[in-house]
Amino acid sequence: MPPARTSSLCASCATVLRSQASGTPYTLRSFTTTAAPQSSPAQDQPRWKQTPPAMKMAFRLRPRPNQPEWKVNDQQAPLDEMYDSFLGHAGEAAQGQTGVESTKGRDLLPEEVKWLAITHKSFDHGRRGFNDRLAFLGKRIVYLQTSLALLRSPNPAPQVFTTKKERNNENINIFHHPALAGTENLTSFSKSQVLSPTRLARLAQSYGVDRVVRWKPKKAENLKGSGVETVLAHTVYSIIGALAMQRGGEVAARTARERILQPLGLR
Amino acid sequence: MKRVRLDRWASQLQPPRNPRLQVQRCALSHETTTLPRRRDLHQQRQYITQTQWQCQRQPVSSKRKASTAAVLQEAGNEGESEASKLPSRNKKSTTPLYAPSHHTAARSAKLAALHARLSLPPKLPLQTLARCLVDPSADPRSDYNNAPFAILGQDLLGYHTTEHLTCHYPRLPMSVLFAAQYAFVGEATLASVRAEWGVEVVAAPGVEVDAGLLQLKRQVPGNSMVEGTGRRVKDMPGVRALGARLGGGRRNAEWNYRRGVSSRVVFDDEFGDLIGGEPYAGAQLSTSASEDGGAVDVEGGDGTTSSLPTLPQSPDDTEATTVSDASASFVRAVAGALYLHVGAAATRTFHRDHILSRQLDLHTMFNFTHPTRDLSRLCAREGFEPPVARLISETGRLSRTPVFVVGVYSGDNLLGEAAGASLNEGRVRAAAAALRSWYLYSPSKGEIVVPSEVEGMAAAGKGKEWKPQVIDVGEIVT
Repeated sequence: MPPARTSSLCASCATVLRSQASGTPYTLRSFTTTAAPQSSPAQDQPRWKQTPPAMKMAFRLRPRPNQPEWKVNDQQAPLDEMYDSFLGHAGEAAQGQTGVESTKGRDLLPEEVKWLAITHKSFDHGRRGFNDRLAFLGKRIVYLQTSLALLRSPNPAPQVFTTKKERNNENINIFHHPALAGTENLTSFSKSQVLSPTRLARLAQSYGVDRVVRWKPKKAENLKGSGVETVLAHTVYSIIGALAMQRGGEVAARTARERILQPLGLR
Repeated sequence: MKRVRLDRWASQLQPPRNPRLQVQRCALSHETTTLPRRRDLHQQRQYITQTQWQCQRQPVSSKRKASTAAVLQEAGNEGESEASKLPSRNKKSTTPLYAPSHHTAARSAKLAALHARLSLPPKLPLQTLARCLVDPSADPRSDYNNAPFAILGQDLLGYHTTEHLTCHYPRLPMSVLFAAQYAFVGEATLASVRAEWGVEVVAAPGVEVDAGLLQLKRQVPGNSMVEGTGRRVKDMPGVRALGARLGGGRRNAEWNYRRGVSSRVVFDDEFGDLIGGEPYAGAQLSTSASEDGGAVDVEGGDGTTSSLPTLPQSPDDTEATTVSDASASFVRAVAGALYLHVGAAATRTFHRDHILSRQLDLHTMFNFTHPTRDLSRLCAREGFEPPVARLISETGRLSRTPVFVVGVYSGDNLLGEAAGASLNEGRVRAAAAALRSWYLYSPSKGEIVVPSEVEGMAAAGKGKEWKPQVIDVGEIVT
């Protein structure tokens, strides 16, 4: 016999309360000292693992939508493997920094940053943080390294002139300098071709980023239409940005050169 | 009467030699080590090089349009072909010059003065500085204009600005970050930098103008009247709008698509603005009415379709730009040229001296619609006590001009305080002040090390110790 409900609850709400599978029980927060931010009481889980209890309701009032529930990875092991695969040997640039024991990908970033870098804004309505700022910085780094790589890339077969006079005349007008070698390769067209979101998304898939990225697609059965390529490219940038903020510009630049641009065809 | 000493007399007539200048006489005599050496460099230097994606033969023509024609493109452009300044016997086969050649750059007083005024390192030659002053609309050939330097310089300036903002203000919201980036290295700012440097702009580009002037093909103002009609230029049909970006466009035109802030990081430029969709600077884009005859659609390996662009041959084919855009390209080109000739340290110094020295009031760049709601969500996320607004002091409640000083407290801690003309206004302003103080948090100066300070040669030289920077989870999603 279920216990008698209070008169303030209607029958449907009481039913919902009873049938709610107990996930995280709602505990009253004690308004004690405010000298330091309070950690979640009685659970003490890391920040990436739970949405802040004060930001969510105790129970769900709206009915669940009629679509398959979208689940993301919440295990540490697949994430660590992805970071190892992404960074490869590029983490060796961090050798010698304080607090760096091993230069594997999983050891270069702290746990919170590792999870933050692969969390998109669509995940949990942005309540657990997101990687926009890291992606902004990472994209600047990748763009700069792309320009430098385009400058270093070799030219195709040079144009052969018919007469020596033509060749000499062409050369006279252009100021030649060894430092300016390769500037003809650097155009916005070539840059946009190298760094299109589609190519970056495919590269991210090869590293296993799509298995660990935390996001919420608009339609689970149509990921491409929901913008999975954009999210994956965004995540690639944000990993570079996280490396830059945590381990410095050398590690980030080297990762961008060796792990992003080299697989895309630029040395 | 003393004998005239012609040798002394002649030397006094010459201007004093500027030891800062090293005029490059032989192009291959100076070696720089900024970039890794390529193989067969000397061999390939003998020929005109091509871009990797674009196959283009430079046509040889002797016809050149007059350069000092009216500003309007429609005004008479028919001109006699002027003799170029090349010492060539057969003028028919020389490539046309649309801007002063680099031979004249060494003799330009304006250019030398600019070089000295900016205290540019002597390793940056005057000829490169002259090339930085040529906009692609004045000369579309990438070997003669500043387009490659501008692209590299934009990447460099943008990177240094972003790392400065991210390390000094780790909690800045994305929209404010975009705005601050524009305020530091956007077109308008760089245009005023150009004006502050004292670089003048030509009325129309040409070979005979001084090499120290900014050369561009000026855009016809949109408000000017078109000849023969009573309409303004901006109202004429066929004005191109911002199109889809190459290799993966925005679906902005669709009814169910809304461009958000997060997607700007991937799709748009460093300021969060839509990219024009030009394959290269100065591209002639087709309007909806006409057909793009020369473009060839190339199917990329990953399924994206991109058009191989047809390059303009002369300034007649290029699209005009504004003075603001050309000025920004020039400043960026100087930064790029500095990197190529001198190195990364010089570029960082340039950025510090000319960009970071500008003052920006970040606290004026915020725009809150519901600050009380956002502050409440912020306190909930961080685990603070919920914010409560309390009246600290007031005066003139029943008068025409009351003042209420309201403070927003989280428990006993004051988060923000502001004055308002009503109780509600004071509460809202106090919440906004609290949010600003959260978002404008800056770590102490001793803790801030920007990523580029430990990159490359800088790490070896200065020995600056790297410290991990503050990484914030993100702003409150409004």
